[in-house]
Amino acid sequence: MTAATQKRIAPRQIYLLLACIAPIGKIVYLPSHLAHYAQNDLLFPAVAQLLVQSLAVFLTLLLAKRGMSFCQLLEGVFGKIAARIFVGIFGLFLLYASLLPLLEQQLFVQSEFYDTLPSLFAFGPFFVFCAYLCSKPLSSFGRTWDILAPLAAAAFVGVMLLSVGSADFGALAPAGAAGGRGFLRATASATSWFFDAALLIPLLGKFEYKKGMAWKGTLCYLGGGAAVLFFLATFYGIFGPLAETQLFGFSKTSKYFSGITVLGRIDYVFIYALALAMAFYVALPLQGAIECGMQIAGEKKYLRTFLSVAVNALLFALLVILEYRLKQALGVISDMLFWIFPIFFLLVPALSLLIRRRRREV
Amino acid sequence: MKFKRFVHTIPMKLYILLAAVILFAFFSNDFGLVDIQKTAIILAAAIDRTEEGFSLTAQIAVPKGSDRTTGGTSSVEIQSEGQTVSDCLTRIYTKTGWVPKLVFCNLILIGEEAAKEKVFDSLDYFLRNEYMPDSCLLAVSEGKAGEMLSSQSAIDDASSLAITKLFSDAAQKSGKVMPNSLKDFTMGMFGVSESGYLPFVRSTPQQGEQSAEGGGSGGGGGGSGGSSSGEEPQQIYSADSTALFSKDKMVALLPIEQTFALSLLKGKVFAGTFNAKEEGKPVTLSVIENGGGVKLDSKNGLKAKLSVDLLVRLCCRSTAVPSEENIGDTVPAKTLEDAKGVVEGYLTDLWDTCKQSGCDLFSLKQSLYRSSLKKYAKWKDNFLPSLSFETDVKVRTRK
Repeated sequence: MTAATQKRIAPRQIYLLLACIAPIGKIVYLPSHLAHYAQNDLLFPAVAQLLVQSLAVFLTLLLAKRGMSFCQLLEGVFGKIAARIFVGIFGLFLLYASLLPLLEQQLFVQSEFYDTLPSLFAFGPFFVFCAYLCSKPLSSFGRTWDILAPLAAAAFVGVMLLSVGSADFGALAPAGAAGGRGFLRATASATSWFFDAALLIPLLGKFEYKKGMAWKGTLCYLGGGAAVLFFLATFYGIFGPLAETQLFGFSKTSKYFSGITVLGRIDYVFIYALALAMAFYVALPLQGAIECGMQIAGEKKYLRTFLSVAVNALLFALLVILEYRLKQALGVISDMLFWIFPIFFLLVPALSLLIRRRRREV
Repeated sequence: MKFKRFVHTIPMKLYILLAAVILFAFFSNDFGLVDIQKTAIILAAAIDRTEEGFSLTAQIAVPKGSDRTTGGTSSVEIQSEGQTVSDCLTRIYTKTGWVPKLVFCNLILIGEEAAKEKVFDSLDYFLRNEYMPDSCLLAVSEGKAGEMLSSQSAIDDASSLAITKLFSDAAQKSGKVMPNSLKDFTMGMFGVSESGYLPFVRSTPQQGEQSAEGGGSGGGGGGSGGSSSGEEPQQIYSADSTALFSKDKMVALLPIEQTFALSLLKGKVFAGTFNAKEEGKPVTLSVIENGGGVKLDSKNGLKAKLSVDLLVRLCCRSTAVPSEENIGDTVPAKTLEDAKGVVEGYLTDLWDTCKQSGCDLFSLKQSLYRSSLKKYAKWKDNFLPSLSFETDVKVRTRK
């Protein structure tokens, strides 16, 4: 095995990311958000989003066939400068996309891990941790997924085992009660949580396309999506009309397990494991954004570390400024600026595939 | 060469170590430390309506003096008034300098008057508070909730602990009390049926009062309540009545028999007892197995079927054992027939109370909503008046 191949991400690791890590971001704030707009029909907008995202994942994995990075891919058509501008814009999008999981995690940590509202800087250590992660090359993340994916999967199974018994799945009936308008509003506002295909774009060129990888990756994503749907159904089954007020779904469903009154909150073992995996998931778009920066500037000593520290310091400052407006900021991203997401996770890979076809015709 | 490589990787190793330490701190929850000098650990809250808005009485746990050798909890009750419940809590903070901490609050008592008008005005704060456990028990108190919470219990140091004992699993299985949590009550009230129930707590002075050795000890240790605790009679609490709610307010009160009928329909009773007649004399039967449920049939009009299936044994006769043949715990057929009549009577009374008060206690409207939106649209405005019912009671005994 050469040094070059050692640095590459294995297809297995991509599958693990899609099946086990990507779903984690959808079980924190999204369940209550969907319940707010679609009530008992919350599964339908989630299915719609999953199908669209699966298509986007399929297209992005097809792009990997060319074995080029995103920047190299664009350079061949638009030239160096235009390609770098595009990659820069994409990096900015990833920075923007990272806000929502960051806000989610800060709110989650504040309300679930503390008994009263902690100080403003309680979330600060996360950015030091994140700066470390982001200073590592993106390709090194493969090993992290190897470790985190089984942990996340086991924790998810643990949470579900403790939760399912308390759910009344009859609460999901009758189908269609929210109506077409509720479905459309819920689908639109859920868009901000489904941008996993965009996370794969900075990884282009860092893994080798293997036969059937596009559909295998899509199937893995759908498998993870099915787990999310099962969680959403259980979540609504437990909380019913109260679902929209239960902000951090995965940390709340398991506490009604009958054994907890005797054993204490044993479910926290699983919740902490999921929170740990979530910390890596939250860092992923930031790493993608820094990778875009590196593709623009080229590999230079300490540049990645510098970018990592700068970006994390910027985001920490932003969260400090937002402090008591975190929920409003989350609302702006999910309810008003959701349309930005499909431009990058769907149009970018689709157009990139088309561009190539045109070149061949010429 | 190896040494050079090792030295070269030291900064990264230190960084990993630092990251691990920081990550640990991040998840540490400040190691769960609570500064007891600055924090008011609220065990229970009582809410009453006032002219200004609300009166909140918080029962706060305080550290015990070293002179006490018994286990238990000392507490102090602080009362505060405000326009909202949140306002009241803020005033408690300004009065005492203690930050109110609701994470251990296990009981909310609602005053009778507060329950009779827009009960969620009183509960809204607790529903919104992220740190409030939604498994917290709810109950309505006879009269003022604040007075009940501040009263001195004959059986425990803190009145809230004595009251929550009434809602234990064992008490629930007796069928004489129907506890409910903040979550379950709210789910019922916010659901399609907009109905729910809460236990109704009464207090009575202990007969032969001051017999307990520690007349002043309950409050004395912690300087309880501020009022002269030694003078007040100790109280015994009971919660065998159940308050019914519909559309945000208390609409009826179920007596003990109907509370028992509700327990039977929920299928929760084990070893609970009720009385029947044997040759005109009372006998007590104990429930060994309890099946129950309410089903809605909407094929031809709306009809509810209340089913109760009981396996009973003879628990006690009011006369001396007359002969060898009935020395065991088998219940004679005639007594079973009478018991069936008794349970049917309870169920009928329960149904009538619910219908008259407009409380959809069995969430039948919700069943209709879930099964057919069309039928729901047809019946929703006139649901309870359109509903007829039948009972299906089986009372069996061991052969």
